[in-house]
Amino acid sequence: MATDLRISNISKIYPGCIANDNVSLQFKSGKIYALLGENGAGKSTLVKILSGVISPDNGEVFLNEKNLKLSSPLDAKKNKIGMVFQHFNLFETLSVFENLSIDATEDNKSLRVRINEILKKYNFSIDLDVPVLNLSAGQKQKVEIIRCLLRSPKVLIMDEPTSVLTEQETEELFISLKKFCDEGILIIYITHKLKEVLSLCDEVAVMRKGKVVSVSQTQNEKVETLANKMVCQKLAKIRKKINISKNKDEIFKVKHLNFYSDDPFETNLINLNFSVKKGECLGIAGISGNGQNELFQILSGEIITPDTSIIFRNKEIAKLNPKQRREYLMAFSPEDRISQAAVPELKIFENVALNNFKSSNFFEKGLVNERKIKEHSKKILSDFSVNTDNVELKSQFLSGGNLQKLILGRELITAPELLICYNPTWGLDVGAINYIHETLIKINDQEKSTILISTDTEELLKLSDRIAVIYKGKLSKIMPSDEVTPEKLGVLMGGGSID
Amino acid sequence: MVPLIKIEKRNDVPMALYFFTPFIAIILTILGGGIIFYILGFNPIEALKFYFITPISNLYGLSELLLKATPLCLIAIGLSFCFKSNNWNIGAEGQLTFGAIVGGGVALLFYNQEGFYILPLVILAGAIGGMIFALIPAILKTYFNTNEILVSLMLVYVSKLLLDYLVVGPWSNPEGFNFPETRQFSDSSRMPLLFEGLRIHAGIFLALAAVMLSWFILYKTYLGFQIKVSGLSLKTAKYAGFKGKTMILVVFMISGACAGLAGVGEITGPIGQLHRMISPDYGFTAIIVAFLGRLNPFGIIFASLVVALTYLGAETAQIFLQIPKYTGQVFQGMILFFLLASDYLLFFKVKILNLNKNELRH
Repeated sequence: MATDLRISNISKIYPGCIANDNVSLQFKSGKIYALLGENGAGKSTLVKILSGVISPDNGEVFLNEKNLKLSSPLDAKKNKIGMVFQHFNLFETLSVFENLSIDATEDNKSLRVRINEILKKYNFSIDLDVPVLNLSAGQKQKVEIIRCLLRSPKVLIMDEPTSVLTEQETEELFISLKKFCDEGILIIYITHKLKEVLSLCDEVAVMRKGKVVSVSQTQNEKVETLANKMVCQKLAKIRKKINISKNKDEIFKVKHLNFYSDDPFETNLINLNFSVKKGECLGIAGISGNGQNELFQILSGEIITPDTSIIFRNKEIAKLNPKQRREYLMAFSPEDRISQAAVPELKIFENVALNNFKSSNFFEKGLVNERKIKEHSKKILSDFSVNTDNVELKSQFLSGGNLQKLILGRELITAPELLICYNPTWGLDVGAINYIHETLIKINDQEKSTILISTDTEELLKLSDRIAVIYKGKLSKIMPSDEVTPEKLGVLMGGGSID
Repeated sequence: MVPLIKIEKRNDVPMALYFFTPFIAIILTILGGGIIFYILGFNPIEALKFYFITPISNLYGLSELLLKATPLCLIAIGLSFCFKSNNWNIGAEGQLTFGAIVGGGVALLFYNQEGFYILPLVILAGAIGGMIFALIPAILKTYFNTNEILVSLMLVYVSKLLLDYLVVGPWSNPEGFNFPETRQFSDSSRMPLLFEGLRIHAGIFLALAAVMLSWFILYKTYLGFQIKVSGLSLKTAKYAGFKGKTMILVVFMISGACAGLAGVGEITGPIGQLHRMISPDYGFTAIIVAFLGRLNPFGIIFASLVVALTYLGAETAQIFLQIPKYTGQVFQGMILFFLLASDYLLFFKVKILNLNKNELRH
């Protein structure tokens, strides 16, 4: 029987952000649909609504013209909507069969028969009696898919399924998905990878900032046209004056940066080489999860990679830890303000003391010099217009914007020659974003350099002098940002290539 | 309708309440103890009086209280360095035993000599012994990624068996009729008594010094700052560039030295020789003391007195009520249980929901 899924005028508003803005879409079985968009475009919110994890403020979902009340994941199951999340919901120490039998309604014997039928039908080779922790990421995903198939779903939603898969596993997954589709299961495929959309899907809906901006047949699309739709086209009005001069000194140079991780949720970095000149901002674009975390930690010295060469102000610093790198006048602003750059339970002045460099005299002969730290903190609070002057306040009471100002202030008050920041305006309101952008431009004006790792293309185009894109741990060539268009960035971020 | 219990983190917990919950735990423990006595067929009021009042109603009792609180306080102070920095040293009992072995070894070397220098040497040897024994789990953790909980716990049995071997074998008293014990230490290896006729000895000053010193280190030094940050967020400690490995080694050394001091305090204080039973599990009980005292040096003084009372009370109850003295462990267990339970309610709120209702939204 054909399945028809219709989403009608769905809206979901979170404080400070509209995740879904009046979204209407229609899906019919026999086709594979792609839902494409950047981070924060609203894809995940939409699928969470479809799977009953969250409920919309407005709008309705119809399955075969029946209005669905999806107020819990259980309702989605009952209505035969299956969902495979990006991060698996499996008990690692239980066997495959135990994992599958947890929410089964039938007895073990007939369950095993049905699972074996599915394994045979789709050519999956999984040993049902080994613990899940021994499986590869691709096999774990298959277990999740089997769990959905056991309930003979009408709709199967896949949330960025290939982010943890190898090329081989991705191909296998596509073959299976096409089979499911031929059997009449409606497939909704969420991704930001353009090539996958073109090679797998029949129809594509592009989302941007909570809205559906286009629905089209993939046969009429190309990597470039999709990229154009996915990435914001409007360029920011204030843009930094591009500042590239060939004869300036290279202050920072990275050679042969390689990183291999055993953790399937980490990204390997493959032979990155780049350099930053004095007074320049190097932007590194990319969709999150393509190696930015790992890159930031290697640049800051939290991870030491043995074969990398990092030259900063003519010195080899690859083996130094973050504190030692700070002594050479580097500064770091990580993505995670709340649990990495600062500790919410600590007072403001204690968080300031985290950036303890020799000339600060915060700790003399191993003793805390509280007076010095507090003086210094007061200066940061006023210089960087944080909306409090109470250095005894616990940082958890600062808003995101004020916390970020405090962190930037702490990092910048040492007058570093190079600031490395990762998503510095993530989750902030417009006022704070503008303040931070102005600050970052000011640093470059003072002939200090920055490396800006960001998932926000608008921000990158506004602030960078040169831009490179990181995709699956590899860096594209570095381009002067006046030659970069949002479309070009979009293509590179989605794994495409430009001439 | 499926009722569902949902646990939510409370956003800001008042500090005052945080230091008050240990008292709630103690009150609940006393109530729980009363109920147990009632079930056992005793008059609960009277039994509790034997347990908590009789033992400290005379000078001798008070001295015994301080005597028992001394090792508990010392060990808990050391443990607070580990626990505050997210290092789970569970093997203080082993470090105590090894400290006692090394310190006791030195005391036995001087068994027939007198001299003012002997006791300091013995004490120093005990601290170093505990320190070395604590370095084993620390080094294995930093360089081989082992789990310090398991290693430190298992080493307890290693040191206890080593002590067993020494007191029945090479170190046993040649004139001791094969009793599993060493010679008596000479007077120069014994802790000076504070009062004639009471067992309380100079070791209590070691504990008090440890309290002051730990307060200074934890709140006034760079090391203390690093310990605090690492305990709250390891990610931040890494980002700030703290030398994580060195810090692990240092906190284990401090912790081991304190446990070793406690061990040497016992053998040079009330015991005066080495035998099999040098500690009624002070090393384990001190874990309860550390948490009951909120890992705060002054809180630990208070907690060590409370927990020491459960040891005394158990002995009194055994004498007067013929209740096995192991009820002391029941009380210690209840303290920990009620403390953890009230902490849980302090940090989280429990909501009961119905699955069909609309509140169940993520």
